[in-house]
Amino acid sequence: MVRTGKTKQRGTVRRVQLRLRIGLGIMLTLLLVVGGQLVLIQGFDVGGLAEAAQAKRSRTIELPAQRGAIVDSKGTVLANSIIRYDVVIDPQQNTSKDTFLRADPKDPSQVIKVTRDQGLRDLAGLLKQDFEELKKAATGTSRYRLLAKGVKPETADAILALSVPGVVTKGTSQRVYPNGAVAGGIIGFLKDGTDGIAGIEQTQNSLLTGTPGSRSFEMGADGLVIPVAPDKITPAKNGKTVKLTLDSDLQYYAQQVIQTQVNNLGAEWGSVVVVEVKTGNIVAMADTNTPDPNNPGGVAAEDRGVRSVTAALEPGSVEKPLVAAALLEEGKSKPMEQFSIPGSYTVNGQTFEDSFGHETFNRTLAGILGWSLNTGTVMVGQRLSKQERYDWLKRFGIGEAPNVPLPGVAGGILSTPDKWDGRQEFTVLFGQGVSQSVLQTVMAYQSIANDGVMLQPRLIDGYIGEDGKEQKTPMGPSRQVVSKSTAKQTRDMLESVVTEGEWKDAAIPGYRVGAKTGTSESPCDNGRPGFCGYTASIVGMAPMDNPQYIVEVLVQRPQDKIFGIDGADIFRSVMGQVLRVNNVPPSTGKPVHLDQFGPGGSTGTGK
Amino acid sequence: MSSVTPRPAARTVGNTARKLATPAPQEAPRKRTPLVVVPSAPRRKSVVFVASCFAVLAAALVGVLLLNIQLSQGQYDMVELKAQQSALTKTNQELSQEVQNFNAPQNLAAKATAMGMVPSAGQGQIDLDRSTVSGEAVAAAKDDKSKSAIIAAPAIAGQLSVVPSGTGDQPAAPVQKPQTAESKTTAQAPAVPQVPKVQLNGGTVPAPAQRTPGN
Repeated sequence: MVRTGKTKQRGTVRRVQLRLRIGLGIMLTLLLVVGGQLVLIQGFDVGGLAEAAQAKRSRTIELPAQRGAIVDSKGTVLANSIIRYDVVIDPQQNTSKDTFLRADPKDPSQVIKVTRDQGLRDLAGLLKQDFEELKKAATGTSRYRLLAKGVKPETADAILALSVPGVVTKGTSQRVYPNGAVAGGIIGFLKDGTDGIAGIEQTQNSLLTGTPGSRSFEMGADGLVIPVAPDKITPAKNGKTVKLTLDSDLQYYAQQVIQTQVNNLGAEWGSVVVVEVKTGNIVAMADTNTPDPNNPGGVAAEDRGVRSVTAALEPGSVEKPLVAAALLEEGKSKPMEQFSIPGSYTVNGQTFEDSFGHETFNRTLAGILGWSLNTGTVMVGQRLSKQERYDWLKRFGIGEAPNVPLPGVAGGILSTPDKWDGRQEFTVLFGQGVSQSVLQTVMAYQSIANDGVMLQPRLIDGYIGEDGKEQKTPMGPSRQVVSKSTAKQTRDMLESVVTEGEWKDAAIPGYRVGAKTGTSESPCDNGRPGFCGYTASIVGMAPMDNPQYIVEVLVQRPQDKIFGIDGADIFRSVMGQVLRVNNVPPSTGKPVHLDQFGPGGSTGTGK
Repeated sequence: MSSVTPRPAARTVGNTARKLATPAPQEAPRKRTPLVVVPSAPRRKSVVFVASCFAVLAAALVGVLLLNIQLSQGQYDMVELKAQQSALTKTNQELSQEVQNFNAPQNLAAKATAMGMVPSAGQGQIDLDRSTVSGEAVAAAKDDKSKSAIIAAPAIAGQLSVVPSGTGDQPAAPVQKPQTAESKTTAQAPAVPQVPKVQLNGGTVPAPAQRTPGN
């Protein structure tokens, strides 16, 4: 009994042990299999499973950089980018479903059944398109069709809420120009919404564009970002904001005034440039028929640029004060030097006449400018050698393109003295046989206004980064063109043109003004021989006791009244507005009245 | 079983001395041997142990679950906040766009003309420091003959049509609605008082049609 019990128990122990061993063996085997598999998968990645899984979870999206804005000197936005949506349909998907479900607009927890036609009708209503045409576009076997571009965000949201099968919206960036045609030519426009192909948008394209960033993260099958997985963000560097020196209100004013004038005179085009004397800042640069960058195709191709810098024209008499300044600087004449001037003056076989017929009369150098005498200018101007004439014009910046960040800046034509013919060597003295842009003329006058120091024109005031810090563009190198006293004497002569000379119309109440008109025959376009009309311009500065602004007005080929008188009208209103808006204090001191005739008066016995 | 029989003979080989000396209590150790297998005592302990193990396991699972829920919820919140942010950005952009459009000089000028304003003709300047008046102030006059050129309002495609009545009138901008409503109410009122200027102080916008030179 005892024995059998003992053996029984022993047998049980053994069986238990055996069972345990087998169990342990199985577990170990399984562990080995699982562990081995683990090592294989994690350690060696046989079959690339881990990599594939990783790749399946990983997403890299581009974070687009926003294009920088363009603002004026007061921060008014002239160009910026906003979000718009393109509406796209998958016609195959749409055609395949006769009805679809939509969240009930009255109760979002309920769904309603909508027919395909009704869905498309709703969509057509939101897109303001014809239902039949939309249906045609939405039917077929293709997988992609663009239904609308540049849809506003709220409309895009409403479209998505319709749940029309196959319809998706895609965010895009649209460039808008809130001020439209105001400074439109200067700002320029984009091609395909990305690259600037005109104006500041073109020249500053790389700075405005910025650098796109990226984000790498892992996403689960439910479309949510896996929170604990690595999430690497390289932020996009948005484009910089370009701040211009322009004042958009003055720009508008100038544009309106010149447009009115050009319309009234039946002229081809016109431009107005306003520059700040002490800084070279371009405050306004107005052209007629300025394009609206929102729709640049609305105007002719030749109107889309900035004529104030791209069109080089013969300046006419506005060149005379530059010659006078050169004569004073060289010590070859004085403002009060008297000349006896015949109605017709012949030198080297070349005969020159004035814009009006006259007997021989007396005029001072100031009077020559005041009456804009070609004869007198040639008489006194020939005291400068041909090389000197060339060098002086060159020093005033003629023949050299000003450094303005706009495409196609003209430098004008100033040929070297050895290429001048018998007449040209004299005509350059009164601004014929030489060409320059309006901005070049303005900058030459700027040097006279600024005590002889010529500055570089500034159009871009600075760049504003994302941190809001503004990085000012430095002033370009300046140069002393004439001495301070020469500049002062030239200014006095310019003031006398208005106080004593022929252009009293340019006077602005409360301010002392100096100005000079110019009229030149305009050579025909497209190489046709001869002249087609005139170029009329007036350039001036104010207030003369401390010049702050230069304004030039140019009208190309007006139909009548060519001799600057009408230009004086616009000059006065633009300059008046500029002075008022900028709170320039009224002039102090006595206006300068230089004698235009000299001792003995107009017909007295002079030299 | 047969192999068990020879064992007692071999007993003398092993722990001989004690076992021979006390042959009587031999039965007791034999009976004790199976006691080793009795599982009752550890079983009770293991119930507690297993229970606590399960509790820990459950707690861990619940913990992980809660953590996961928390993280997912965080993600959902983030998605929602991001959506909210972008919606606000869009609204903000839309509104500033509207303001900029209203601010465009063309629109301002057209609006001013529609309200019967004219550009000033000549200004005088008062210098407080020197107590002087310079320039000639001239009263602005309505001057129809020198009709100035109109620069077109910005043509922003798909953009709000806030073009004031001077240049054209398209609906859409919500701001214009109260205005037209007001103009209706004011249109009746000025029939009696011929000088509507005073009414400007009341905050009403005068009916544009009445003062436009074009009419």
